[in-house]
Amino acid sequence: MGDMIKGNIAIAEAAVRAGVQLYAGYPITPSTEIMEYLSGRLPELGRSFIQAESEVSSINMVMGASACGFRSLTASSGPGISLKQECISCISDEELACVVINVVRYGNGLGTLYSSQCDYFRETRGGGNGDYRCIVLSPESIQEAVDLMAPAFDLAEKYRIVTIFMTEGALGQMMEPCDMPDFIEPKRHSWALNGTYSNKKIGIFDRDSMKEAEALNKKHELIKANEQRWESGQVEDADYVFVAFGLPGRSVKGAVKELREEGHKVGFIRPITTWPFPEKAFAEVNPNVKGFISVEANATGQLVDDVALTAKKVINERNVPVWCLPCVYGVPTLKFTKEGFGRIINGELKEVY
Amino acid sequence: MREILYAGFGGQGVLTSGLVMAQVAVFKKQQATWIPSYGSAMRGGTANCTVKYGKDTIYNPAQEEPDVLLAMNGPSYTAFAPSVKPGGIIVINNDIIGDDIAVRDDITLYKVPCTTLAKEIGQPRGANIIMAAAVIKLLGDFSLDDGIHGMNDMFRKKGKEKFEAGNMKSFECGYNAV
Repeated sequence: MGDMIKGNIAIAEAAVRAGVQLYAGYPITPSTEIMEYLSGRLPELGRSFIQAESEVSSINMVMGASACGFRSLTASSGPGISLKQECISCISDEELACVVINVVRYGNGLGTLYSSQCDYFRETRGGGNGDYRCIVLSPESIQEAVDLMAPAFDLAEKYRIVTIFMTEGALGQMMEPCDMPDFIEPKRHSWALNGTYSNKKIGIFDRDSMKEAEALNKKHELIKANEQRWESGQVEDADYVFVAFGLPGRSVKGAVKELREEGHKVGFIRPITTWPFPEKAFAEVNPNVKGFISVEANATGQLVDDVALTAKKVINERNVPVWCLPCVYGVPTLKFTKEGFGRIINGELKEVY
Repeated sequence: MREILYAGFGGQGVLTSGLVMAQVAVFKKQQATWIPSYGSAMRGGTANCTVKYGKDTIYNPAQEEPDVLLAMNGPSYTAFAPSVKPGGIIVINNDIIGDDIAVRDDITLYKVPCTTLAKEIGQPRGANIIMAAAVIKLLGDFSLDDGIHGMNDMFRKKGKEKFEAGNMKSFECGYNAV
């Protein structure tokens, strides 16, 4: 078992080991330790670290490094990622590969410093203008975050897509034991700029948007077919299945364990990729399930939409109710989830769908 | 699984008190999590952290219902005493928190004058280590030796071994104070 380490520091070191050649960013709580750590670590290894003058310029630097075929990274939190959206859309349009870490904090506008999952819709739908998706990874622990960092880049490069690494304020700030992976030395990509104009130039009026749309859909379908990741437990005989990701997902597993001990037939699905949403996990659920319950750290319920959509698709002969337990911010306690469950089975809480 | 809440003014070292607890547990091959309040907390403001440890998986790392509360100042006592599990323990810094406090009858209260003790042993900055050790003793899961080895291991890895003798003195003092 490794030493105690802070989430943000562990994630930053994991990125170093995954071969990040350039980090550019602008600080914001609760993500700042990532760039603080990299400000010393990357120059030590002869790699590039830039504290940019703004979020906008930092993501553009990431696009530049990516176009040159290097593993590049930025990190921020909700409001900072909002500012980066124009460029994330551009990177997606250019089909470049990079990783963007969002250490999510709660609220609209500038919001608050509380830990949250309120950026679920933004991240899983492609947050900028246009019509694209990003692969979104949502770890539940520091160890899982560290283990997902190299795959985050592998996926981005395999599909030439942006990977959003969606953690939470609490995961960034907490500490727990963690083992670090080995160092990887990634190769520069064949599609990268090489200074000799060997790639074909395509101007804005040369584009065939119909053909591009076909290719984009094909790519999205391929990702949906091959890259769904999740953890699930005790869904085969479950009357009720909880769905939650990240720290709430981890907490819900504890609630499921206690509810089982109390005689309730419950199970859980914990999405690790929140896009592509792990639809395949639902195929294993008891066909006679009485309902799904999303537990999420936001005010209005977001994940619940994907849960409902998938539930309707998988169990199509009847209308399975879907409830939502939003804890607004922080990590939902086991008590919160169990009390919510009690209200659901007593008929005190109305389903969302 | 054990849950401990460490609370006080920013600058009193409660985050480090909690970290010592978590590191001692990890040093003894247990699972542990440490989660702070963060953000606008700074010197003079409020600070707290929750530590959980045990042999089994820790599901929710955040505060649920603490077995033990360390309250280093009055506002922390007032804010968090009601959240302690019935039958639990509250340790207060009674150099700052006076005797005129309401005490729940379903918890055990320990008063440790940590600032005075720290001065007495010539470690004026050791009050948080004294309290960390007192909490470890009261939980009864780790010996004095385990505690000191775990703590030393943590500070060595931070490159702070020059404070080792003083920290050990503070730790022993706190372990023997309850």
